[in-house]
Amino acid sequence: MMSENKKNINRRHFLKDGVWATCLAGLAGLGGFLLSKLKKNNTVWQIDPYVCVACGNCATYCVLEDSAVKCVQVYEICGYCDICTGYLEPEVNPPDTGAENELCPTGALKRVFVEDPYFEYNVDESLCNGCGKCVKGCTVFGNGSLFLQVRHDRCLNCNECSIAAACPSQAYKRVPANEPYLLKKMDHA
Amino acid sequence: MIRIGYIIIGIAVLCLSSGVASALERFPPPEFESGYEFPSTTTPHPQQDIYEYIDTFVLLAALGISSYLVLKKRSRRAIFILMVFSLLYFGFWRKGCVCPIGATQNIVLSIFDHSYAVPVAIAFFFLLPLVFALFFGRVFCAAVCPLGAIQDLVLLRPVSVPNWLESGLRMFAYVYLAAAVLFAATGSAFLICRYDPFVAFFRLNGNLNVLIIGTCLLLISVFIGRPYCRFICPYGILLRQLSRLSKWRVTITPDECIQCRLCEDSCPYGAIRRPSVNWPATEYGRGKKRLAVLLVLLPILMILCGWSGSSLRKVTSRMHPTVRLAERIYLEDAGKVEDTTDASLAFRATGKETGTLYEEALNIRANFGLGGWFFGGFVGLMIGLKLITVSIWRQRTDYEAGRASCLACGRCFRYCPMERARLKKTKEAPV
Amino acid sequence: MESNSDKTSQINEVTSPWYRSAVTTAIVCAVFSLIVLTLFVINYIQFRIINTNWEIQSLNLKKEFGQNLDDEQLLSKIRQLDLEFRQYRIRRLDFSRKGGYLLLGSVVIMLIAIKSADTFKKKLPAPQVLSNKDNEQLLHAKFARWAVAAGLAVLGSGALILAMGTDIDFGRTKVLISTSYPSLEQINKNWPGFRGPEGLGISAYTNVPDSWNGKSNEGILWKTKIPLQGNNSPVVWEDRVFLSGGNQNELKVFCFNAISGKLLWAGEIASPHLKSDEEPFEVMEDTGFASPTVVTDGRRVYAIFVTGDIGSFDFNGKSVWTRSLGIPDSSYGYASSLAIYRNLVLIQFDQGGPEDGISRMIALDGLTGQTVWETKRPVPNSWSSPIVTKIGDQFQLITCGDPWVIAYDPAKGTELWRVKCLYGDVAPSPVYANGLIFAVEPDARLIAIRADGQGDVTETHIAWDNDEWGPNICSPVSNGELVFLLASEGLLACYKNSDGTKLYEHDLRENFMASPSLVGDKLYLLTEKGVMLIIQAGPEYKELTKCELGEKCYASPAFVDGRIYIRGLENLYCIGNNASE
Repeated sequence: MMSENKKNINRRHFLKDGVWATCLAGLAGLGGFLLSKLKKNNTVWQIDPYVCVACGNCATYCVLEDSAVKCVQVYEICGYCDICTGYLEPEVNPPDTGAENELCPTGALKRVFVEDPYFEYNVDESLCNGCGKCVKGCTVFGNGSLFLQVRHDRCLNCNECSIAAACPSQAYKRVPANEPYLLKKMDHA
Repeated sequence: MIRIGYIIIGIAVLCLSSGVASALERFPPPEFESGYEFPSTTTPHPQQDIYEYIDTFVLLAALGISSYLVLKKRSRRAIFILMVFSLLYFGFWRKGCVCPIGATQNIVLSIFDHSYAVPVAIAFFFLLPLVFALFFGRVFCAAVCPLGAIQDLVLLRPVSVPNWLESGLRMFAYVYLAAAVLFAATGSAFLICRYDPFVAFFRLNGNLNVLIIGTCLLLISVFIGRPYCRFICPYGILLRQLSRLSKWRVTITPDECIQCRLCEDSCPYGAIRRPSVNWPATEYGRGKKRLAVLLVLLPILMILCGWSGSSLRKVTSRMHPTVRLAERIYLEDAGKVEDTTDASLAFRATGKETGTLYEEALNIRANFGLGGWFFGGFVGLMIGLKLITVSIWRQRTDYEAGRASCLACGRCFRYCPMERARLKKTKEAPV
Repeated sequence: MESNSDKTSQINEVTSPWYRSAVTTAIVCAVFSLIVLTLFVINYIQFRIINTNWEIQSLNLKKEFGQNLDDEQLLSKIRQLDLEFRQYRIRRLDFSRKGGYLLLGSVVIMLIAIKSADTFKKKLPAPQVLSNKDNEQLLHAKFARWAVAAGLAVLGSGALILAMGTDIDFGRTKVLISTSYPSLEQINKNWPGFRGPEGLGISAYTNVPDSWNGKSNEGILWKTKIPLQGNNSPVVWEDRVFLSGGNQNELKVFCFNAISGKLLWAGEIASPHLKSDEEPFEVMEDTGFASPTVVTDGRRVYAIFVTGDIGSFDFNGKSVWTRSLGIPDSSYGYASSLAIYRNLVLIQFDQGGPEDGISRMIALDGLTGQTVWETKRPVPNSWSSPIVTKIGDQFQLITCGDPWVIAYDPAKGTELWRVKCLYGDVAPSPVYANGLIFAVEPDARLIAIRADGQGDVTETHIAWDNDEWGPNICSPVSNGELVFLLASEGLLACYKNSDGTKLYEHDLRENFMASPSLVGDKLYLLTEKGVMLIIQAGPEYKELTKCELGEKCYASPAFVDGRIYIRGLENLYCIGNNASE
């Protein structure tokens, strides 16, 4: 009786050990598989400015109240225009830089005189909310030097980016962390 | 009077036809005479890679220490302190992301999507707690998981949930795991991340709905211990199964159990198993018949649920943005809806053929069809198994910590008089 | 008993100062947390309200300002409002951040306090008396099974509810399509679209009148005023005649009784592009709003307009479906007529410039208007109409655009063959006769293409081309041996099908918009002035008769059993012999 019980217990233990070993091997195998596909770099989220339609979701869908997406300016592409279509609303009357004529709802886009007739346009990131109104104006009527980018000093790099899930044109991509920006370059057709 | 507006509108009509994103340099780059130099666009960098490795190392260390505290030192206070540290580090410092629970989805995605590779840290975050569970039990849940920690800390007036209700509610966790895997495998969404209730607290920022769910869950946690861990956590399912096989087990006391019953209401998580009672003689016969029926029911349940899961593909596939877009385009083209959405406008501006879009959507639907079989089959299997295991009589003479359910929090240690005696003895051990 | 209470009260006394202070701290923190939480909620709601209010207010003020540009006060008010909102937003973000930390801090302190209170007043473990130990586990097992079953039931009902949602099936082959379509015989008995049954301009009936006079009403069975103008040609199916017309305010399809001429119904197509409060839709006067000819399959009539709106009506005038394909970017205005193949309505939707790549051939299901297939076309805007004709044992959909003549399989939209031979503003439509497709390069040449090719057959399948001249509006017509070209300035030329030798060329000294038609061995040519020139369709020019209508005509005539339908600028005429009624 005792020996039979013992045998049963031994058999059960053997079975259990077998399953245990299989699980361990499985985990090791999974680890090996994952390491074989190794990507050294972590990935971060970034907006492809050529796909972005400046819908305004970046301002509202970020988990951070002060969205991690800000407008950036690529100065080489900018036309430095007096009447900037990203700065001023269309149909401005009179054409001055009053608050009522500015596209930017928070006053983050600043206009600085350089030399006649050129003006430099800068984005104050502490004010920018990532709404994309200037981006739309600049891309549709202007040179497209203003566009939205995820700022990595603010972005938490969530596993699933809430803005990416809400982007209507699927402009969000995972990019390697050592090249975390997709800036526009000159002469893109 | 020529209004600038009309000129701009005229340009707009020309430019709008080429879409928002296809901007050519319409205004030539300026030629500066004053020696003006172009400022450069700032590119602040994300967190350096080194932090990932530090985090992995801290995780390893925490798991090691937790195992030691649960199995060797057996001190609730020490476990508590480690838990607070984990909450602060993995929760508030790392903002609770990426956590091992969410890492499950990354792993699944990398298996099914060849273009996605899991970063090293995430792979370790997924594997390490599982390996430790295989050896030491759910030590991850005890003192390392920040979500568990935050629930554990607000537990003030524990109310015990009857065992049968616990079994029923836990089915939700299986469904959640299956759904998370399905959606991750098809590349639709990371469900666990989207509905993580506590990460909004760690970030001190978040979606309003998730904040509300999190607050409600925390309020529930004040009375019902660790509801997320017991009834929702999908990673916990994996930990449960591996913990059943663990080499070393959490025990209320390493000494003999004297069945004094003092530990009965010590566990706020309902993990203590009582000694078994012999069923009345008539019950064994009925029990055997019931068991037979349930065994036959198991494959039927699996197939039935698998088939349901697969036929729900039209609904489940809507989680994927491409399918949603295709459906929207279809409705607009067929004249069934009046307006357009941002997404449909953006799609039409790309000039991509709707036929291609429909084909992509159909492919994704097919994936959901296949995945649905596994989703339903898994849920059916778990339900069937649960029905069977509940109906089996198991002999147990002592009060034990349930192998799968015990979260290794260490609360029961001080309730056991044998444990207290043992600790006093070790304290008073002659030098 | 007394000693016990003494003991407990002693214990209470020993722990009470710490305990009480812990409890007080806990309550204070709880209240504080609640206050901060409430502030948060208020903050959030306030922001939502203020945000919308600000937008509305700012918009209104700006509109007002737009009308009184000199109002300084208004301007400063707008600026003030803007500044206030910006400051409010920053204050709010600040509050959220700081408040978050405050809330966290106070909640943590509250928790610590409560936990300390607990440690100062520890409870001894007190397991309850077990009532029915024996059955308890069994009962638990039973409840557990039922709980799991209940869970399964919840899941199941959830799945059922989800499954009952809208079902969108967009597989190409699974599109809900009508199975009812006219037979080839039925099509050939009627005049269902532009230039007749297969778009060839050939009448199936030779018993049509060859003399009439509109001024004296001789041979005119009836004449009915058409409510809206349009350049599209009449379409006849059994006892119905269909036309469309449009102007800046409305787009309509008209149905006349073919025998009595009575206007039976007028169906309107609601267009999103003709809103009365917006800028009027601009279109070239010569093209007008309703250039494309309607098409019918004997069950419904389909009409498309220059705005890209296409709609369908049943024979009783009820609207079946409408779709807006978007305004086609066409420099003269969209004018391609519709074609049908079985249950599909075929639209040659050519638009844009040569590099734009936005032209497409679209097939809609006649019953539902759903897109069955859509194929991109490598051509810019064009004004020629597609034809569907049986070549050999297969149907081909032939289209012309600059520079390709492309043939498609009308059922699937796949390309059969293409030939690069055209250039310019292509308006004449192709025809098929005796194994050859005739396409016209406007103002340049007539090209004959063998219709049995596959793929790009530019090098191999051009049978001949005659590059003396080509019409720029009227489409050609052929009886299988001779092919006739008609220029809008009046030149009529005849070529041999087989090798393209020109047999004659005659200047008719009239202007033509309508395309030539073939009735038996006679050519019916309708001048802009409304005079029908009936010419012998032979290798030599021979004029047979001239029939005057008395009204200008731009549209091509329709020929059915014993009758001709001609659309003048204002009226629809039915030409026939009384005897045939």
